[in-house]
Amino acid sequence: MVAVKDTVDQVAGLEKYEHGFVTEIEQEFAPRGLSRETVAFISQKKDEPAWMLEWRLEAFERWSAMGSPDWARVSFPPIDYQDATYYAAPKAKDGPASLDEVDPEILKTYEKLGIPLREQEVLAGVTGAPRYAVDAVFDSVSVVTTFKKELAEAGVIFCSMSEAVREHPDLVRKYLGTVVPVSDNFFACLNSAVFSDGSFVYVPPGVRCPMELSTYFRINAAGSGQFERTLIIADRGSYVSYLEGCTAPMRDENQLHAAVVELVALEDAEIKYSTVQNWYPGDPETGKGGIYNFVTKRADCRGDRSRVSWTQVETGSAITWKYPSCVLRGRDSVGEFYSIAITNGRQQADTGTKMIHLGEGTRSRVISKGISAGRSSNTYRGLVSAHPKAKGARNFTQCDSLLIGKTCAAHTVPYIEARNGACTFEHEATTTRLSEDQLFYARQRGLPEEEAVQLLVNGFVRDVLQELPMEFAVEAQKLVAISLEGSVG
Amino acid sequence: MNLEEAIRLRDPARLPSRRDEDWRWTDLRGLLRAIPEPSRPLEPGDIGPGPFDGLPGDGVSIANGSGPEEIRVAGGEVRTVILRHVSRGDGAHASRLRIEVGPAARLTLLESHEGGGSGLSLLGIDMRLGTGAACERLVLSDLDAEAVAVVELEAELEPGARLGQTVLTSGARRQRFETRVRHPGQGAEVRLDGAYVLRERRHADLTSSVRHEGPDGRTDQLARGMVDDQARAVFQGRITVLEGADGADARMAHNALILSDRAEVDARPELEIFADDVACAHGATVGALDEEVLFYMRQRGLPEREARTLLVTSFLGGVIDRVEAPAAADRLRSWLLAQIGAAS
Repeated sequence: MVAVKDTVDQVAGLEKYEHGFVTEIEQEFAPRGLSRETVAFISQKKDEPAWMLEWRLEAFERWSAMGSPDWARVSFPPIDYQDATYYAAPKAKDGPASLDEVDPEILKTYEKLGIPLREQEVLAGVTGAPRYAVDAVFDSVSVVTTFKKELAEAGVIFCSMSEAVREHPDLVRKYLGTVVPVSDNFFACLNSAVFSDGSFVYVPPGVRCPMELSTYFRINAAGSGQFERTLIIADRGSYVSYLEGCTAPMRDENQLHAAVVELVALEDAEIKYSTVQNWYPGDPETGKGGIYNFVTKRADCRGDRSRVSWTQVETGSAITWKYPSCVLRGRDSVGEFYSIAITNGRQQADTGTKMIHLGEGTRSRVISKGISAGRSSNTYRGLVSAHPKAKGARNFTQCDSLLIGKTCAAHTVPYIEARNGACTFEHEATTTRLSEDQLFYARQRGLPEEEAVQLLVNGFVRDVLQELPMEFAVEAQKLVAISLEGSVG
Repeated sequence: MNLEEAIRLRDPARLPSRRDEDWRWTDLRGLLRAIPEPSRPLEPGDIGPGPFDGLPGDGVSIANGSGPEEIRVAGGEVRTVILRHVSRGDGAHASRLRIEVGPAARLTLLESHEGGGSGLSLLGIDMRLGTGAACERLVLSDLDAEAVAVVELEAELEPGARLGQTVLTSGARRQRFETRVRHPGQGAEVRLDGAYVLRERRHADLTSSVRHEGPDGRTDQLARGMVDDQARAVFQGRITVLEGADGADARMAHNALILSDRAEVDARPELEIFADDVACAHGATVGALDEEVLFYMRQRGLPEREARTLLVTSFLGGVIDRVEAPAAADRLRSWLLAQIGAAS
């Protein structure tokens, strides 16, 4: 019991959000509030074609008629959608042509966050070290995308969404909104109306993307939200690995982040999508401030033998409402979901996945590890369903919850719907605290208490960490440690 | 949404529907456009023989909604009650029964649901188990294909009480067994088991919710079943462990066999945990019979039909093995065998 008590004390004593600073730069904003004019303003700022504006306005009309969903196990006061700005961008002339034109304050911000925006910085390491291209999104705009040239040589398009709308309208029109329809849900619909930058990736047939792609999202401006939209298309037989990271300043107000991510995998294509989410979680004592992370992520395994894998490490946000899903349409397509969700302080997370088996021989695997500490609440909510045509569908789900302390909560709400006689679904879930026996064993071998706890927690989340791209696994492991500082780090 | 009121006021708008999260797979409002006329009283001669006939125990009947409103077992007493809930015709009726089991008393409740016709019925049972009391509730439901029936049990346990329940059902047009237990911990134990064998277009829903309110409580749940043809099975189990209910040990398992491409199994095993010193787990599986095992058995000379029956029987038999009352367990086993034989 002593060990657990210490763990609880240590967890209670933490508060170390190291990305909570604000960058002082000149920014321009959309007028406060949300109306057709706001939508038109954003579209005009982004220099969009008429069809895009129409698409946005239609979404806005639909959103106006919708109500905020209330089924998730999270509670927050009603959001005043008129009391926010929907566009915030660093002041610039025509958008920087090169890094030298980017506001040095922004560059400093990314430096502080440890995100390499200069290609040579990435290259400066040991020869043969893994490289990755970055799209840096600052509030509503993408400030820089690295390695574009090298990627273009391989035929890969990696750019901001705004640029894609202008430069590759055919691709955008063909795929945008086909995975997450405009009125899919309240927050996705809001996003469709006001979305700002996100990343656009197209990998042509047969191409294995030569490096990891990543987007780093940063909310900086006060009184605004971030509504990015990401679209990744992996054409026949291609492969791409993509990672997103996110942080925000510490503020007493709540800020909304309502993103939409759409993935399309055609025949034999594979997409690996990893997220390290570290938005400001709010004050652990009072619960004041923090990001509302209401995100819709969905992958469409459209082609036969396609494969999508979601890996997420969720440590931040005051409230997380997020269910990265796979629609397994293609024959023998595969969906995977690996998740670590850590809540501490007064955080609330309601997260999980949906695996929708439509095609024959489709397979999915769900591994979810939830850790709750402090006064937080952590819910796994998932759906696994098999359509009558999904003969031979297989799913394996494992969700484990770990509780640290007497005042936190962990919930597991899986939905299983089997609609044919040739599917095999297995689901198992456990909820426990750190095992006294294991702690005792580790300590008896001479490990200090803190290291013992760290060892056990790392063991608990290992299945998921090993799914992350190598260079980010280290970062994620560090993040896990910081999120539960005291008890694990 | 309240079924009892819907029947009493004949207001279909009060029926639970798929919009109510806990009823999403057992939609009554979408099924019934109107609430049938109240059921006519039954003559004693209309009731016929019951499945537990011949076993020792006090007989109690609720026929088309009329019958006793209370069963009391005094402190220290040991009693078996054979409760028959019989419905005939196409009317609607609702009834409520209170069961009090005094301190250290033991009740074996052999409960059957019979008939059903094409009507709508609701039986609500409120049960209180005193300190150290025990109740084993064995339910056998064999209803007509067109019946719509809901059976609810609301149980409140005192410390040290034990509640064991086994529900066997062949379903109905739409049927639900809902069990809600307030679990005080402190040595109290709850076992909530069930088995279903569903064919044709039958539907059965086993829903339960156990709230651990005090420390050191045990809950153990095992539900198994098979669905064939166009049948649909629903399993919803929720175990809640409130703050302070430390030392809770709760286990839940639901295993289903789907034998047809048009059958459906929907499951939602839920854990809601607000205490840290707990050991809670659930498992849920859905699948077909193992072809390799079938092959092995056939290779040993068993005809396919027999091999299938044997596999299903051993699979579902696990639920009967946990029944404590031996004579009743034999009845349940042979009923289950007959159902499986007819189904496979």
